Amino acid sequence: MFDLVIRNGLIVDGSGLPGRRGDVAISDGKVVSVGGRAGEARREIDATGKVVAPGFIDPHTHYDAQLCFDPYAFPAIEHGVTTVVPGNCSLSLAPLRAEQRVAFSSMFRLIEEMPEAAFDAGVDWRWGEDFGGMLDALTGNIALNVAPLVGHSVLRMYVMGDAAQERPATPEEIAAMADVLRQCLDAGAVGLSTSFVDIDETYRPVPSRWATPDELDALAAVLGERDRVLQIVHEFFDADLTVARVEQLAELSLRHGITTTLSPLFHSDANHHGVAKVMAAVEAARASGAAVWPQVQTRPIDISFTLDQRSLMLLTMPSWWKVASIRDRDEKLAAVLDKRQALVDEMNSLSRRPNGGLGAGGFVVRDVVHERNRDLVGRNIDDIARERGTSHGDTVVDLALDEGLGTWFIRESIGHNNSEVVGELLANPLVHVGASDGGAHVGSFSTFGDTGFLFSEFVRGTKSLSLEAAVKKITLDPATIWGLQGRGMLAPGYAADVVVFDADTIGRGPEVASDDFPGDGIRWIRRQEGIDTVVVNGEITWTADDGYIAGARAGAIATR
Amino acid sequence: MSARRYVFAQMGDDFAAIAGREMPGVDGAEQQLLAWNLHLAARAGLGRAVGLLPSDIVFTEPPPARPAHPAG
Repeated sequence: MFDLVIRNGLIVDGSGLPGRRGDVAISDGKVVSVGGRAGEARREIDATGKVVAPGFIDPHTHYDAQLCFDPYAFPAIEHGVTTVVPGNCSLSLAPLRAEQRVAFSSMFRLIEEMPEAAFDAGVDWRWGEDFGGMLDALTGNIALNVAPLVGHSVLRMYVMGDAAQERPATPEEIAAMADVLRQCLDAGAVGLSTSFVDIDETYRPVPSRWATPDELDALAAVLGERDRVLQIVHEFFDADLTVARVEQLAELSLRHGITTTLSPLFHSDANHHGVAKVMAAVEAARASGAAVWPQVQTRPIDISFTLDQRSLMLLTMPSWWKVASIRDRDEKLAAVLDKRQALVDEMNSLSRRPNGGLGAGGFVVRDVVHERNRDLVGRNIDDIARERGTSHGDTVVDLALDEGLGTWFIRESIGHNNSEVVGELLANPLVHVGASDGGAHVGSFSTFGDTGFLFSEFVRGTKSLSLEAAVKKITLDPATIWGLQGRGMLAPGYAADVVVFDADTIGRGPEVASDDFPGDGIRWIRRQEGIDTVVVNGEITWTADDGYIAGARAGAIATR
Repeated sequence: MSARRYVFAQMGDDFAAIAGREMPGVDGAEQQLLAWNLHLAARAGLGRAVGLLPSDIVFTEPPPARPAHPAG
């Protein structure tokens, strides 16, 4: 008798081959048989009319902190995601010395836009300082699989202390980093992440940016010893810089035999030629035998924000950033009144920047504090400004001040929103579906539902990918790229990570505010659409009827 | 497709030093480097300014002309 049989679904096994109807049988956390008619089981799921696929893999996430207080990485699992890669962009919660926690936490919260209260409430550092201890602490306490990266910035901090953000490493320090990296990889790290773009709250470059190419080469050599992955976040806003990074990664890949990945690769109609240039460099790298995988996200870029807290949108307006960084509310409001004209001018200058479009005029009022302003919701600032005879900047500031800076604005479709072109890019066999940023930027946009959007927009909508190709893109492809052996396919002996969904209705759901995180404030999430059941290592973890299954903790460290 | 010619900055480098090393004898080399590397030149205006970093890519030639058609 099997533990579980999923009966009569359309089995799309992750290989990219056409689906076929039949049963999937599972025992002891593994797939036992695929196709045909399976015998009796202790638990059965009727998948008639639905697709049965391997669980989805999300290779670019920042669930590091959330997993400490939320074993489900809510709501990732209900979207069919059964394996995540945290620790991207040079930032992981270990290895880290106790005295470095405050500085690191500040950096992580800023870069990944994680609320302070949620981070502090959830991350208790119960594992101590080392990477293996962190994975031990997660084991048995997670409902989905984790394949964690080691952050290069953290590795530098661990070995170099404050000097990590001041200078290149000495040969002895590089050797020490290599040793610690080996320990992390042997403990279960899937690879190393580094960043060429991020800054801390004082605008100081993160530690990884102080590394010489020789340091990165030495660490890549360690990855080569263990056949692990190098992830970078690069200067994605500039095609020439991206091409140079592709070539740098290609050299590292060839020299050390490693897989490399860069994220994100965005398209916008303003940089169409830039994406073509990057892909030409990727093709050249592949032709030389290098493994360089650009990560392409499925969703368009929308950013929500208030003027009350630091956000990605305010990064482009340094004066606003400084004001939003003030903790005391009264002091913050006083600063806005005091510097009002300069702040208005800065906001008005947005439209004069390259590709600035309407600038602040393109902001849409998303939500308001006072009912008297409710009729403004859904209207853009340009429209309201014309009605009032005020500048865009004045209109935004007037409204925000009227509401104690609590007004929510959204800048929609900033880029990556030409579905025909993005669909073609996603279908390219040389790109990797990723860059969701799952668990990060919680006040700017929802990082959930990208997998559903792949099907709703690019399978059913533009028809850029077949159902089978789309499933492969988020199952066997990432499992192979990241070396997650025994995952990403429905085949005998593979881990029983399974998602059952309706191909006609799977989607990402509307973006809604949620106050479920510890502390004040909201985050933006999307609930699933069209998912029926999610199984992790053979355990039913979420169903449409019952929601999250209490006590489900079958998640594993996918690299152990 | 090959990247524009570039070097990695060395610790303590500024554009004058790179110009002297990579473009000896070229009139206005420092200004040319600044113009070709606006992503680095702009950094000085933010917060606690830092100089060039050892991971920085510094282009030592101008960007190519854009293709005539957007899809080129």
